Amino acid sequence: MSTPTERTTGSTEVKHPDGKGIGLWLKLALVLLGIVLLALLPQVLSRYYIILMMPFFAYSIALLGLNLLFGYTGLISFGHALFIGVGAYSAAFLMRDGGLEYMEPLILLSVLGAVIVAVPVGLLAVRYIGIYFGLLTLAFGMLFYSFLLKFYSITSGDQGIRVEKPILLGFIDTTGIDYLTGPFYYYCLGLLVVMALVMWRIVKSPFGLTLRCVRDNSVKAESLGIGVYRYRFYAFLISAIYGGVAGVILAVSVGQVDPTMSYWTSSGNLVFMTLLGGFTSFLGPIVGAGAFILLQDQVMSLWEYWRLVFGAILALIVIFAPSGLMGLLTMGWKKVVR
Amino acid sequence: MLHAVDVHKNYGDYVAVAGVTLFIDEGEFVSIVGPNGAGKTTLINVLTGLLQPTAGHVHYKGHDISGAGPVKLAQLGMARSFQLVAVFAELTVMEVLQAASLTRLGRGMRLFHSLGSDREVRENAEHIASLFGLQDQLGVKSGQLPQGNKKLLDVASAFALYPEIILLDEPTSGVSTSDKHRIMETLVVASKEIGIKSIIQVEHDMDIVFGYSDRIVALYEGRVLADGSPQEIECNEEVMRNIIGREPVRNA
Amino acid sequence: MGDVVSILMSGLFSAAILFLVAAGLQLVFGVMKIFNLAVGSFYALGAFFGATLVNWAVGEGLPQPLFFFGLLIAGILLGVIGPVIERLLRPIYDRDEAFQLLLTFAIVLMLEDITMMIWGSQPRSTGSLYLIYGTVNLLGATVPVYNLLVIAAAGTIAVGIGLLLSRTAFGRVLRAAADKREMVQSLGVNTRRLYVIVFSLGVVLSTIGGALVIPVTATMSEMGVELIVEAFAVVVIGGLGSMRGALVGALVVGYVTTLSINYYPPIEMLVIYLVVIVVLVIKPRGLFGGETA
Repeated sequence: MSTPTERTTGSTEVKHPDGKGIGLWLKLALVLLGIVLLALLPQVLSRYYIILMMPFFAYSIALLGLNLLFGYTGLISFGHALFIGVGAYSAAFLMRDGGLEYMEPLILLSVLGAVIVAVPVGLLAVRYIGIYFGLLTLAFGMLFYSFLLKFYSITSGDQGIRVEKPILLGFIDTTGIDYLTGPFYYYCLGLLVVMALVMWRIVKSPFGLTLRCVRDNSVKAESLGIGVYRYRFYAFLISAIYGGVAGVILAVSVGQVDPTMSYWTSSGNLVFMTLLGGFTSFLGPIVGAGAFILLQDQVMSLWEYWRLVFGAILALIVIFAPSGLMGLLTMGWKKVVR
Repeated sequence: MLHAVDVHKNYGDYVAVAGVTLFIDEGEFVSIVGPNGAGKTTLINVLTGLLQPTAGHVHYKGHDISGAGPVKLAQLGMARSFQLVAVFAELTVMEVLQAASLTRLGRGMRLFHSLGSDREVRENAEHIASLFGLQDQLGVKSGQLPQGNKKLLDVASAFALYPEIILLDEPTSGVSTSDKHRIMETLVVASKEIGIKSIIQVEHDMDIVFGYSDRIVALYEGRVLADGSPQEIECNEEVMRNIIGREPVRNA
Repeated sequence: MGDVVSILMSGLFSAAILFLVAAGLQLVFGVMKIFNLAVGSFYALGAFFGATLVNWAVGEGLPQPLFFFGLLIAGILLGVIGPVIERLLRPIYDRDEAFQLLLTFAIVLMLEDITMMIWGSQPRSTGSLYLIYGTVNLLGATVPVYNLLVIAAAGTIAVGIGLLLSRTAFGRVLRAAADKREMVQSLGVNTRRLYVIVFSLGVVLSTIGGALVIPVTATMSEMGVELIVEAFAVVVIGGLGSMRGALVGALVVGYVTTLSINYYPPIEMLVIYLVVIVVLVIKPRGLFGGETA
């Protein structure tokens, strides 16, 4: 039987403010194991599953950014698919109209596109919190969606635009190999690892700590001299950059862009994935993206009404397990250890 | 140091502060007292730039700071604490104090530095924690601290800015009587150590008000009813009866 | 002149429908502080159920001219889902807004598929039944009497809500609840029951909106999800929680939609969202934000 005091002293031992401790090595080992497993997947899984997993990388990257907003800054965006859409369509335009064939400039320019959109949207949206922030981002997402849908001459409307396979690292193209399950798969994996490391750096930086102050109590944060709008704005920009990168690799993975990428339910699904995996955990959103994709595939193959099942799952998570799968895992782990 | 000149604050038809003029000098410990609804918290919020006064001005170190906002004031060396406990519930004590040290050093925007390896911030935070007796609870989440320590942490984080002047809105409210004196003692010692020049507090507990203040300002219905040393206030019949609820001291 | 009147009337018609749904959204938000993304799904349910009920009734030989009331009854009957969904929401009343929003999103997902399971993806309509009341000529424009009935019904409901809020004891409780939940509890009002009633009322407003729109269009599987974004525009323009805001917002969105459909269809939604954004920049809480009635 543990009294509250015992528990608090216990947690100081295990979790020193630095985050150093036995738990950290274990976590590191698990993460490395996860990366190795992901790297081995193309050798063991059928092509169907690898193709199915391709959007995983895109969503994971987008969710790393989204969770900087949601988990670390306390802002819930219901329009984050906007940035995936901007990234994806930027890539599609650059390839179709600009004749650009190389992946790296494609990513950079699409991210630039996402930033250009994010600056005005962010300047306006970060003045709000809670529902208003959620609804305003939703409005901007829908604004972009209706542009994609209705300006047929530029965007081809709901038919979307076909996306070619760009040349990776300046020399890998599609000749003679299975591009998607081969080089592109590892390219995405590498990108995810790099972007996760950068995000880890950000959340463990002074900036990351300050964001969490803003999240927990913005009035108190201001009294400590923290300009909350500025911090929220930068968090918004960073999340948009992640969304833009995600959009490019999603476009290439799917081979097609279409307006539903930016529809509000797509944004809702992003938040769903974050919650499914666990927004209180750094890797939670990535777990959530994987779980969402696999679960969707399984449920859809069994029953056409997958949204009914997913709605029920989401409701259960919101009500009973708000820290998601990672929260449940941590709880389970603690029980095992004890 | 801090001058409020004929400050008014209305909420619609309701007059919360009706013309308060107040001069706070360096080295003073001033207590603002008054019944509920006298406008104490509103006055503090105006003085700390959280609220724009309806009329009148607030000057601090030569700047007109009326409605300047807390961020600007924190940079100018003014800090505050809150009546209801205001901590970052999910952050540990260490993190709260680190965050405050970061803003003082202007390092909050560092995106890619490792927080853990910033020794200056760390030592700063540890120093403040030990001043407030929180050094054994660095790893505890603020939200899980006992009430008295939450209050202390709120004040400590304001002190971590090394302000010149600090405004405390009921630093001991909601805390047991024995804790009250502990908090006040800690606060006075820490303010000397840190070099805080002036302290303004809103307080209901008259033992604390009379025990620690150099000067007492009594507010009533948005106006200053009396302003003087504890000895002077003790003899002011109106203030003692209406606000403090004790018999005035009669001495020849 | 005929064109102008025709635009005026069709704008008013869409505003009438939008108002009903938005009023449901506002009522629930005002009292319970929950932004219910599922109102669009209620609207769709109203449309499907309304079409089914009316077609069945007509098939059974009930007099066709009564179909307007059939639609109203369909909307009211769907009020039974109110208590069920309110029960689902109950665990999260004191939780963060983000979770409340997400739970209503979960309900959207479920209701979408439940509607599909019951009615399939085939469009449903009531054919030309709505012409049974004939048309009138207003200054050169031909307007179906049915549209006028819907406008009148929405107007009556709007006045009814206004009177309910301002003149009745129940209305006072609602306004008090919107201001401060604790206060209502201290007044001895059973908030649990109040929430059931309010939520069910909100459902009925949205389902009536859906049922009344069906004679002039046909049901579509996406109609609920699409409507929520319009209803959202209405309440954000008008101000969250304000009934007057719902009315004004509905008129703005109704007319913006109608005008762009008449002159330059591609910008329909674009203009709505531009208006939303402009309103939020100028008046962050919407035109009537912060009001409770």
